[in-house]
Amino acid sequence: MARAVGIDLGTTFSLVAYMDPQTGAPKCIPGPSGSTLCPSVVSVDTSGRIIAGDAARELLLTRPDRTIYSVKRLMGRGTADIQDELKIFPFRIAADSANVIRVQLGEKTFTPPEISAFILRDLKSWAEAYFKEPVDRAVVTVPAYFNDAQRQATKDAGRLAGLEVLRLVNEPTAAALAYGLHKQKRGRVAVYDFGGGTFDISILKLISTTEGDIYQVLSTNGDTHLGGDDIDNAMIEIARRGIEQGSGINIDPRSEDAQELRKALIQAKHELSTNDTAVARYRAAGKTWELSFTRADFDELIRPIVARTMAPGKQALADAKLAPTEIDEVVLVGGSTRIPLVRKTVGDYFQRAPHVELNPDEVVALGAAVQADILETGVKNMLLLDVTPLSLGIETMGGVVAKIIPRNSTIPASAQELFTTGVENQSGLDVHILQGERELAKDCRSLARFKLRVQPGPAGLARVEVKFLIDANGILQVAARDLKTGEQQTVEVQPSYGLNDSEIERMLEESIEFAERDFADRQIIEARTEAEAILDATEKSLRDQRAGELSPAERRAIDEAVARLKTAMASGDYKAVRQRIDELNQSTMHFAEIMMNSALQTALEGKRLEDV
Amino acid sequence: MINATQTETGTPTAAKCWSCGAASSGAHFCGACGKIQPLSPGIDYFAFFALPQKLTLDADALEQQFHTLSWKLHPDNFVRATEFERNLSLERSSELNDAYRALREAVSRIEYLLGRLGIRKEGTTKQQAPPELLEEVFELNEALDELREARAEGADLAALRERLTAAQANFQEKLREVDAELAGIAMQWDAALGSGADESERTRLLARMNEVLNRRSYIRNLVAGVAKELSEA
Repeated sequence: MARAVGIDLGTTFSLVAYMDPQTGAPKCIPGPSGSTLCPSVVSVDTSGRIIAGDAARELLLTRPDRTIYSVKRLMGRGTADIQDELKIFPFRIAADSANVIRVQLGEKTFTPPEISAFILRDLKSWAEAYFKEPVDRAVVTVPAYFNDAQRQATKDAGRLAGLEVLRLVNEPTAAALAYGLHKQKRGRVAVYDFGGGTFDISILKLISTTEGDIYQVLSTNGDTHLGGDDIDNAMIEIARRGIEQGSGINIDPRSEDAQELRKALIQAKHELSTNDTAVARYRAAGKTWELSFTRADFDELIRPIVARTMAPGKQALADAKLAPTEIDEVVLVGGSTRIPLVRKTVGDYFQRAPHVELNPDEVVALGAAVQADILETGVKNMLLLDVTPLSLGIETMGGVVAKIIPRNSTIPASAQELFTTGVENQSGLDVHILQGERELAKDCRSLARFKLRVQPGPAGLARVEVKFLIDANGILQVAARDLKTGEQQTVEVQPSYGLNDSEIERMLEESIEFAERDFADRQIIEARTEAEAILDATEKSLRDQRAGELSPAERRAIDEAVARLKTAMASGDYKAVRQRIDELNQSTMHFAEIMMNSALQTALEGKRLEDV
Repeated sequence: MINATQTETGTPTAAKCWSCGAASSGAHFCGACGKIQPLSPGIDYFAFFALPQKLTLDADALEQQFHTLSWKLHPDNFVRATEFERNLSLERSSELNDAYRALREAVSRIEYLLGRLGIRKEGTTKQQAPPELLEEVFELNEALDELREARAEGADLAALRERLTAAQANFQEKLREVDAELAGIAMQWDAALGSGADESERTRLLARMNEVLNRRSYIRNLVAGVAKELSEA
């Protein structure tokens, strides 16, 4: 039976977890290296083959031009949104990008959902290798503050990876679920999730009912472009300035040197979580450099970045109508919460020591696995009630936004609006949907536009009711009904930032090609390995004196089969290799018998009958 | 991005269960076969929770009911059900959340009732200063202007801040008075509903609540505006 898993698709690392039926506890699945962390890095080699995870991270140093990291920052965004990031991130954005970004990797270009799908496919293969059975369904986590386009892009990535996305779950909520299981906690919980590229804060209420536990999110806030990446970039900036002063060379952020110093500085950052000093050593501009940090230097450097988490934190509390001291438990999630300054800042604000018992890298994936198990088995002893992070609105006269579903509404949530014509014989009504808290449409995030059809007639006569519904994934659905005729109307929505259905279809076809190619790649490697073993054994046996017992015809048949197998191995066609292996086995059958009998004889020689 | 969907309308009539044909009373689930039922057209948020249209209600009991119904109606329960049932779950659970959002707080509950009865429409509230507040509003606007000028000129803001903070406290007090007044009329409404008071009495109460709500939203905007100016100063 195919399985369902929980996946944390992170900015820096991604993880896959499952519910262990033996222990009743969720567990992360290790990859080939033994680690449960899959670097969220994708590379394309010169033959067009896709490499993800650990192998791709190695290529960041040698082939940065063919490798991408932190692609999560690009999900659901247009080129205009990422201009600031392009100054610091070595993203190679293809010239034909507009409202959907295309990233240049070697000769090809890919959209962020496609690149994320390569990471998901890697995790899927980890899980399949672990279970030795197919995995085709998953709960995937997203930052709580992700907007509609970013959520849809994540769902698209799942689909492109051959996974049915059972549910998108907000990362802090998933973490709360894992912690709740772990500690059996009740009360009001703040989850502070500071990851590689995103920051979320969620305030939850944990309630025990006769049916089970309810995890009710009261409010959420965050910044989808604030994370450990920003700390890395602040450190890199110091290093680059040092190199520029010392050698006059300005390090290109896209160069191999930039990747080497990034790696060294991240290492130093990690050391500073436990040590008071750290030294980063790196080669750049043809020289070896050293940059030392004290904890105090580091704290000073990152203080403004950490401070940026406080405004969303205060807003979330205000929206939940709670004071910091009314929070019973504080949970830290995400790798950046290992930083002592972050822990201190959070502890001071809530006036209590935060929980750090669970591995902050794994806790989100563990929560996702719990939710996957609930959806998969239908055995429910807990329920997540999450909220929509941003207000949903429609553009009205003068570019003003009318809010129809306020932020922090429990999802699913809906709103109905009645539309009518403003001028005579109008045949259509344009509807523009937005997300955000600002008053004007130009300051909010455009989600989509669509046109309602109406019967031409006097102004104000038409009546079309549009139902906006945010589903349990936090994704918007739209349905329209003509109140005059009672007919449902299909709404053709044009997403402002995202892929439409036909683009997804085309990518799905391509992704199947990739999958087939990956499958073929794996098959040829396995077939070659097997062929090498057989050739080795055959050639060794042919050198044996007992090979003399073969008839000339037999000997010729074996030699021919060996030659044909070698040719097939060079071809790269795994089916041909398998066929030639079978043929070689056939032609050596008699020879194998001879070898076997003689081996038996050797073994029996010198032994007394009663020993046999 | 958005999924354009066409949810199926409640084709089965309100009187019969779509699945087993048993008589249906508009409950969330069929009494005979237990299948989730489509929303009855025109049902209001009070009726969704099987409550009368009364404005004072037990918030804890409502929350408990919200949790019980969430447990039953949430899409998590219908992952493996038919598409039709999945849509019914989506429809009913979103209605549950919308209803709870509207009813859980006193002010939004009154706003919902007035909207439902056609007394109040979104975006049509008068933004006119209530006559009894005219003088104070005038003073406040003057202080706000001075603050903006002083800020533009880089002058000392301390005295102005003090004045505005005092004004803000004053208006917050007024907001509390308005809320108390609103609660009083809400109680009269409930009593009128309970004693079967005549139409004209109920209409009068609704109109008064609408008038107080307008005043409330005016004062709230003032308070929010001052808070914004103060945070920027």
